[in-house]
Amino acid sequence: MLKVENVRKAFSEVTVLDGVDLTIAPGEVVSILGSSGSGKSTLIRCINGLERLNAGRITVDDFDVSKPKELAEARKRSGTVFQLFNLYPHMSVLQNITLAPIEVLKTPRPEAEAIARKLLESVGLADRADAYPAQLSGGQRQRVGICRALAMQPRYLLLDEVTSALDPEMTAEVLAILAKLAAQGTTMLFVTHEIEFAREISDRIVFLDKGRLVVDLPTDRFFAADGGRAQPRVAQFLSRMRKD
Amino acid sequence: MRFSDFTSYDLILLAQGLGTNIALFLVTSLIGLLIGLGWALVRFYRVPVLAQIVTFLSELLKNSPVLVQLFLVFFGLPALLHIRVTPVTAATITLSANTAAFVYVIAVSAIESIEREQVEAARVFGITRWQVLRHIVTPQAAAFAVGPLVALLVNQLQVTSLISVIGVVDLTKIGHILNMRTLKPFVVWTVVGLLYYGAAKLVALLGERFENRLRAHSAWRGL
Ligand SMILES: Nc1ncnc2c1ncn2[C@@H]1O[C@H](COP(=O)(O)OP(=O)(O)OP(=O)(O)O)[C@@H](O)[C@H]1O
Ligand SMILES: [Mg+2]
Repeated sequence: MLKVENVRKAFSEVTVLDGVDLTIAPGEVVSILGSSGSGKSTLIRCINGLERLNAGRITVDDFDVSKPKELAEARKRSGTVFQLFNLYPHMSVLQNITLAPIEVLKTPRPEAEAIARKLLESVGLADRADAYPAQLSGGQRQRVGICRALAMQPRYLLLDEVTSALDPEMTAEVLAILAKLAAQGTTMLFVTHEIEFAREISDRIVFLDKGRLVVDLPTDRFFAADGGRAQPRVAQFLSRMRKD
Repeated sequence: MRFSDFTSYDLILLAQGLGTNIALFLVTSLIGLLIGLGWALVRFYRVPVLAQIVTFLSELLKNSPVLVQLFLVFFGLPALLHIRVTPVTAATITLSANTAAFVYVIAVSAIESIEREQVEAARVFGITRWQVLRHIVTPQAAAFAVGPLVALLVNQLQVTSLISVIGVVDLTKIGHILNMRTLKPFVVWTVVGLLYYGAAKLVALLGERFENRLRAHSAWRGL
C-alpha cells in the first residue's frame, strides 16, 4: 500500500497541499488530474521524499518517508519518471539504467545490464544502449527514463506529466508503453493532462483543486454526470481540457 | 674573463632557481588542490559552521594580495606566536592557501553547474549523497573545471616569483644577483622571463593534453 494521510505542505507561507488523503493498492492505476498549480507535482515530490511534509504522513509499504532511516526503503519501492527526463548526460543509456540497481540494490553489473537490455528491448530501444542522452529524441529519452525507473523493480511507479515535453508522435510512443505497463498490472500514480488516456488506463481518478483532493472516484464514476462531473470545478476543468 | 661576463655556471644557477620555483609550485599546487577540494566537500555536504568558515576564508584569500599574505605569514606570524618561520615554510603556507582558495571557487562553481534535477533523479532511487558525488557530480564537474584549473595553475606558477621578496633563492632572486653582477638588466630579465614562460607553457601544454583526454571521454556532450 502507498498511503498519503492528511498531508500538508507549504512553501514559506503558501499552502500547496492541504490535508491530502490518498491510498493506492498494488496493481492499481490512479491518475491525478488538476489545473496548473494545484499541487500535483508537489504531491509526487512528497511521496518520493524530495519535499519535507509540514504535517501528515506518507508511507510506502509501511515505510515512512519522513523518517530518514525508512526513506531509503521507501525509495527502493517507488520509481519516478520525470517530466523533463532528468537523465544523467555523461552516462550512456545503459549506464543511466544500471546505476541505481548496481549502487542501491547491489545487483551485479552483468545481471543489471541484462535486465537493462531486456527493458530497452521492450520499449524498442535495443540498439541505443550505448548512445548518450544528447543523441536521442525526446520520446526516446523518456522511454529510457521509464526503463531507468523500471530497472529498480518498483512496487509503485510515479509519473509526473511524462509526456508534456513531447510532441504528439512521441507522446503516442510513450503512452503506448505506459498502456502496456498498466495492462501488465504495474501500479502507477500518474499525473497527466492527457485526459482521454487517463480514462483508458486508470482504475481511479483523483482531482486536486488548490491543494485539496476534492474527488477520488473509479474512472467511470469520475466522468459520470452525477459523479465527478457533478463537482463544478471538475466539470469546468474537463470542459476546458476538451477545447484545448 | 671579466667578472661581469656570463659563465656557464650562471646557467646552472638559473636552472637551480627555476627548479626552486617549480618544486614550490608542485608542492603548493598539490596541497592547495587537496585543501580546496576538501573545502568544496565541506560545502557540498553543507557542514554547519565549517561551510561558512570555509567560504569566508576563501573570500579573504582571494581578495587580498598574495604578497601581503606572504608578509603576514613570514613577518606577522613569528611576531604574534613567537615562532620561527623560514622563508620556504612561509612561501609554502601562503601559496598553498592561495591556491586552495581559487580551487575552492572553481570546484564550487563546477558543482553548481550540475542541475539539481539530475541529483534529484538519483536521490529518488535511493542513491546516497556520496554516490551522487562520485558518479554524477564528479565526472561532470571535472570536465567543467579542468580548463579553469589549468589556467589557475599557470598563474600560480608565476606567482611563485613573489617568494624572492622574502629571501628564497628562486629564479627571480638569481636574476637579481646576476643583474647586480653583470649590469646587463635587459639580457638577464629577458632570459629569466623566457624561463618562466617556458615553464608556464609546459604546464599549459600538459593541462591541455589532460583536458583533451577528459573531453574525449565526454562524447556525451553531443557536440
Ligand atoms: N519549490 C517551491 N517553492 C515555492 N513554491 C513552490 C515550489 N514548488 C511549487 N511551488 C508552488 O506550489 C504550487 C503547486 O505547484 P505544483 O508544481 O505542485 O503544481 P502542479 O499541479 O504540478 O502544476 P502543473 O500542472 O503546472 O505542473 C504552485 O503555486 C507553485 O508555484
Ligand atoms: Mg507539475
